[in-house]
Amino acid sequence: MEDLLRTAEELAGRYGILYYEIRVTRVTASHLTMQNGQLEELGVNTEVGIGVRAFNGAWGFSSANDMSRARDAIETAMKIAKLSKGDSRIYLGDPVRDRAEIRPKRSFLDVDIEDKLALVKEIDSLLRGDGISNRSVYYGDGLKESFYFNSLGSEIETVVPRLRLSFSVTARGNGEMQSYWKSFGGTAGWELVERMDLSRWTSFVREKAISLLHAQSPPSGEFDIIIDPELTGVFIHEALGHAVEADSVKNGDSILAGKLGERIAVEGLTVVDDPTLPGKFGSYVYDDEGIKAKRVEIIKNGVLVNYLTDRETSALLGLEPNGHGRAQGYSYQPLVRMSNTYVEPGDWSFEEMVEEVKNGLYMIGDKGGEVDTANGTFTFGAKEGYIIENGEIKAQVRDVALSGGILDVLKNIRAIGNDLRIEFPGYCGKGQWVPVDDGGPHVLTRALVGGLR
Amino acid sequence: MIDELIGILERENVEWEIYWEKGRGGSFRIERERLERSQRKFHSGIGLRVGYNGKLGFSYITGLNHERKTLEEFVKRTVKLARVSEVPFSGFPTPSRVPRVDGLYDGRIDEIPFEEAHSLAGEFAAKMRELKDDSLTLSGSIALAVSNYGIANSNGIFFEGRGTGMSVSAYAVKRGERTGSGSYYQAYRSLQPVEELENAIKRSIEEAELSYRARKAEPYSGEILLEPEAFRAILGIFLENLFGDGVYYGRSRFSKPGENVAPEGLEVIDDATIPAGVGSFPFDGEGNPGERTVLVEDGVIRSFLLDETYARFLNMESTGNAVRDFRTMPHIGTSNVVVGAGRDNLEEFEGVVVKKVFGEHTANPVSGDFSLTVELGYIIKDGDVIPFRDNMLVGNAFGFLRTLNAIGRKVYRKGSFYSPRVLGIAKLV
Repeated sequence: MEDLLRTAEELAGRYGILYYEIRVTRVTASHLTMQNGQLEELGVNTEVGIGVRAFNGAWGFSSANDMSRARDAIETAMKIAKLSKGDSRIYLGDPVRDRAEIRPKRSFLDVDIEDKLALVKEIDSLLRGDGISNRSVYYGDGLKESFYFNSLGSEIETVVPRLRLSFSVTARGNGEMQSYWKSFGGTAGWELVERMDLSRWTSFVREKAISLLHAQSPPSGEFDIIIDPELTGVFIHEALGHAVEADSVKNGDSILAGKLGERIAVEGLTVVDDPTLPGKFGSYVYDDEGIKAKRVEIIKNGVLVNYLTDRETSALLGLEPNGHGRAQGYSYQPLVRMSNTYVEPGDWSFEEMVEEVKNGLYMIGDKGGEVDTANGTFTFGAKEGYIIENGEIKAQVRDVALSGGILDVLKNIRAIGNDLRIEFPGYCGKGQWVPVDDGGPHVLTRALVGGLR
Repeated sequence: MIDELIGILERENVEWEIYWEKGRGGSFRIERERLERSQRKFHSGIGLRVGYNGKLGFSYITGLNHERKTLEEFVKRTVKLARVSEVPFSGFPTPSRVPRVDGLYDGRIDEIPFEEAHSLAGEFAAKMRELKDDSLTLSGSIALAVSNYGIANSNGIFFEGRGTGMSVSAYAVKRGERTGSGSYYQAYRSLQPVEELENAIKRSIEEAELSYRARKAEPYSGEILLEPEAFRAILGIFLENLFGDGVYYGRSRFSKPGENVAPEGLEVIDDATIPAGVGSFPFDGEGNPGERTVLVEDGVIRSFLLDETYARFLNMESTGNAVRDFRTMPHIGTSNVVVGAGRDNLEEFEGVVVKKVFGEHTANPVSGDFSLTVELGYIIKDGDVIPFRDNMLVGNAFGFLRTLNAIGRKVYRKGSFYSPRVLGIAKLV
């Protein structure tokens, strides 16, 4: 490493580079996939690589997965920056020297691959049942050791473990096919697996898939909807989160540009993005620009109070950098990203909320979403739902997507539950994939439901 | 070094396959009409599969310059994985003739000096500044890539290939009292002139202007014309059911070919042999020949998409659809998907047209239900264009295919997807 530090300094002098930062990472990972009792993949791999960014009013970037090319990567990034001279500014700040490790109770590196295979097999057998045509189980873990340094003199070593487990079934019957799934994950070790109630969640997934075979498609049109904590998570991620990523604000691509300090939601709504939550899937200690991760209140009592920023957008918008520059890996440039995004709880009980609804839907579970931040239209999928009539929960309905406008839906929130849960790990795609978590309490709002009826 | 690795593998009493890759890419990102991020990346590595006693082991190594000791350890590790693994091994392909597919490599992309590519991106940004007005914010990207790759196995397969690629995207946001946005994306095998970059900007601006004027349309149920990009989303839901692994594992609607899924005029082909096609290849990730595979003909399913493994599990023949990189085991993927031209003239269609949708990953591939947000659509009435957006396009993918009642004569290409406009029954909410 000493050599790399010296090489970078020497080359920066030669090319007249104002600022550079270098990440060297080693990821040790294993993954297993099984379908219908048949193992499809079992992999154990370690990968080392280097990513270099150099700034000269615009960015130059280079990476290599062959460490014998490390010097070339540094020189290439700097040459590009020299060639690219621009007039952007970035936040620099003071150098940081730190070593931070997220320590699991029991490292998955100490667990034999045979035990991981035994886990996958156990889940597979628990998923067996009449009417189930497909059982899928995925297990993956990875320890990321990263060394970050920059031209300011920052030297940061981080060690972050991440584990994810998910399983799904497809049921067939009644002339239909339906599937259901559940995921677990966190910045944690094998203890996450040991804590899981596998028999409860496997039966849950199986029963849901089978009951959906008999569920009708929901009606279509605009309805009052209660969304469960999992769906609240994807809703707030899509409807708000992407539009407050400051790079979209910078590029004229966010409907929330210029709205800091404005009331954009009902008074009771507070939304937070917090990478420092212990053990969550989207957690980290430092972002990929060497900035310490910070809890950010995005909306406070209905008022937009902050964007998520990186070194570049914080300088441009005159905001504090809050450690949201994240990259998929060493070969990617950091972008502004979310971490663990959630709605703070209110004081409604779920029962009170249901009583409020005359004619609406209770929608459950995250099937992903997407947003057009420029126009403020978003969509998100629910795994299942129930009709609500005159304050009572009635028939089950199938999976469906819902859609709305950011500014409408945030103002149409009528009740925020008291039952916060942030335990819905997933990956967010924005040209790069990063691990995130999200959640919230039950929320009552209004949205467009795309049912077949 | 590949020869050395093969030498080591041949001394082991195992079946083996190696896939190697060496490539580089340059990409340029323009934000607010200025070139802000440029990068040049290198990657190389080898993926090794070992079959031993009916079981499969896989691992990879990055880089192509290794000492003998590292290679020996790599082999040892993978053989060990095969010994403990319970992944069934059904055999690697045997050599067969691979087609010649022209136009996959353009020396100009391979040899362009980085400075020249950088200055092409600079021209792209300058064009944006020239074409913009105060209401518009423009961004976009250019990417160039070169890859050399090869596959060899213990049955005697040894193929090497190379390819180049270029992609261009442009994005326009129009702001005034309202907001509109438009985008354009295209991929190619050869270096594109500035005119194509200019075309990308103009098309994204046109779309932003249309989007700016768009409002939500009244709910509607009936005939809807889908432009190729919107049809791709719905056909994609159906196509997921044709992947051989899904069929084998009971995740597909279908268990064998022969099922009638659409009216006679519908033809869908997976074609790896299209000259200069961005999804084309002469051999797949396991060394099977790239093929033209008819998936749907006269509305009937004729074939699934198969690699060697699932073809053997299902007692079928590989269709050469193994895709991979050195980090991954081969898995089934499409090459170029081609919807055959129909007989109808849909160029002067009057009625409801959906141009772009989003949210297709929320659709349910096993039930086929979809509810997608309309990013942009328009109604043509007496020659007037009335744009709309933010409605949901709702239906069932299998149901929609059955209602196709016109397929256009003219085929458009978007990346590796080729399709005419199609007319079917769906609902706008």
